[in-house]
Amino acid sequence: MIHGMMDGMSVEEKDQLKLERLQSTLNRAFKNVPFHRNRLLQRDILPEHIASLEDLTKLPLMDRTHLGTHYPYGLFAVPLRDIVRIHTAPGTGPSPSISGYTKTDLIVWKKLVTRSLGAAGVTDLDIIQIHLPPGLANWGRDYKDGGEALGSSVIPNSPLSLAKTLMVLKDYKTTTLITTPAFAQQLVNHMFDHGHSPNRLTLKRVILVGEPVDKATIKDLEQRLHVDAWNHYGLSEIPGPAIAYDCKILGGLHINDDHILPEIIDPQTEKPVPRGEKGELVLTTLSARAFPLIRFRTGDTARLLTDTCGCNSPLMGMEWFKERTDNMIIISGIKVSLDQVKVYLQNALGVEHPECRIDRIRKDGTETLKICLTMDDALFSDEIKELERVIADTEKALAEQVGVPVKIRLVQ
Amino acid sequence: MLKIKNLKCSYGSIVAVHGVSLSVKKGDLISILGANGAGKSSLLLAVCGLLKTWEGEIMFQDKTIRGMSPPAIVRAGISMVPEGRQIFSPLSVMDNLKMGAYTRYHSSSKHGIAGDLEMVMEMFPILRERAYQLAGTLSGGEQQMLAIGRALMARPKLLVLDEPSMGLAPKIVSMIFKVIMDFRDHGVTILLVEQNARAALKIADRGYVLETGKMVLQGSADELLVDDDVKRAYLGQDYGDFYDGREG
Repeated sequence: MIHGMMDGMSVEEKDQLKLERLQSTLNRAFKNVPFHRNRLLQRDILPEHIASLEDLTKLPLMDRTHLGTHYPYGLFAVPLRDIVRIHTAPGTGPSPSISGYTKTDLIVWKKLVTRSLGAAGVTDLDIIQIHLPPGLANWGRDYKDGGEALGSSVIPNSPLSLAKTLMVLKDYKTTTLITTPAFAQQLVNHMFDHGHSPNRLTLKRVILVGEPVDKATIKDLEQRLHVDAWNHYGLSEIPGPAIAYDCKILGGLHINDDHILPEIIDPQTEKPVPRGEKGELVLTTLSARAFPLIRFRTGDTARLLTDTCGCNSPLMGMEWFKERTDNMIIISGIKVSLDQVKVYLQNALGVEHPECRIDRIRKDGTETLKICLTMDDALFSDEIKELERVIADTEKALAEQVGVPVKIRLVQ
Repeated sequence: MLKIKNLKCSYGSIVAVHGVSLSVKKGDLISILGANGAGKSSLLLAVCGLLKTWEGEIMFQDKTIRGMSPPAIVRAGISMVPEGRQIFSPLSVMDNLKMGAYTRYHSSSKHGIAGDLEMVMEMFPILRERAYQLAGTLSGGEQQMLAIGRALMARPKLLVLDEPSMGLAPKIVSMIFKVIMDFRDHGVTILLVEQNARAALKIADRGYVLETGKMVLQGSADELLVDDDVKRAYLGQDYGDFYDGREG
């Protein structure tokens, strides 16, 4: 029964379930969130006009900028008294994006995380160790809840060095590591550089979160660490991790489409692409109470698989690609908006349109946002110390804003 | 077993149900919750063929019930325990039960009627004791048992109960709910409409919440039991505003 109600359902029954959930989501959003209501009314649409899943395309799309412009609570669909958890993500503009969960949301989310862990073979006999960067701390909590619900022993997320993490991994007999691809790679390199044999670990699997991982990387990691590696798809803003999870039989991810409905659109025309074609992933929550998303543009590139899976999962299949359709860069699984960084630099340095190149660099298990800033007259100061101070302050403040470490270098 | 899609019910210009979809699978115990006027009864009337006009789709065992008369719907396997019992007061308990099997007398299943009477009497011994008493002289709880027994006499595949706890003492309510739970355990599919959300969700597999004719929530019973929206929906209460009680 890992798929709850979806087990044993025909395609028609699944569609009915999704339609029922979609309709009540729309009714709640329309009634409680002025943003959603106004956007529907502008188009002369009422929730009751959505009579089939295909009608979803009649609804307007939303994206990350809407999350920032309705800061802090503008998109909440329940009174604040019903909220039991509040999460913050960096957002794309000056304001962060905030999402909330009701008690029921947490129950549903826990079920989805449990399902996704279960699909990777995690049971109550496992010891789960969570190692995620501070920007993905929200996911750490969700994985902890899901792991505990499954009956596993969970070592929650805490900021440890590479060496200490390895010690815990070895001494606590961790069987399941949940981390980012970047950290997993660093861990393996560290182990081999320092002569630690993977045979001394009890690790059975690594769950990689935050960004897509190609098959070659998975295979390499599996061979070097003697584990199974699984990729999970999630959103750092909302509602959390494990929206989709790897299936070894499918050769892709199963998306929890009983609670989150996927669509693929052409990012330019915003029209749906034929089933099976690649495009931008758009998600609609079907059971979220506090923070419903209606046709949310993720910026991720994916395609929906058309074949049914040999694992008998009733959930839809999805392939997730590295490219993005928006102007964001993934650092340690956290999406950083390049526009936001540029606006921030502009304000902090008092320079209009600062010329810069933005990259990610990976060192000692952490990824850093590296900004190469071109020196010009406006930026130049006789006082080297003063310039260094400005740069250091900017690094610190920007890191807090985007949730990942920032390194600024001045170039000619 | 039962699938409703985009159901709309109106009385003249007043729309009571705005495009509601819901489904009941074989063996499920599904509860529909909502305050007065939420559209629960209109929905049930449509399912039982008692509402003349409605839009949308109601399928029972993959066949539409559109155009079917109420007796034909009973024959198809939907039997209802109406709100307020609606037993035949001037008739005896026994006659009331036999009336429940009315649609079976001319069908092949009539031979089972005596056996089913026995089964109902077993289930509710009080009805055996009062078999020849006038139904109108029974207490509220006994009348409810009679109404349920009468519905069972049609050998339903889907038993629809409209507010079975209404006007009954708490002790009787818990007894009635225990009986409903027993049905479920014996594989009877049940659609339970209730204002008593907590009691209904405790025995239900899943629930739906209706509010002013619109479906606003659905989920498994454990999810809905902790949902503040459910409490508000069936109590018809709302907070003052978004920050109610949390202004600091």
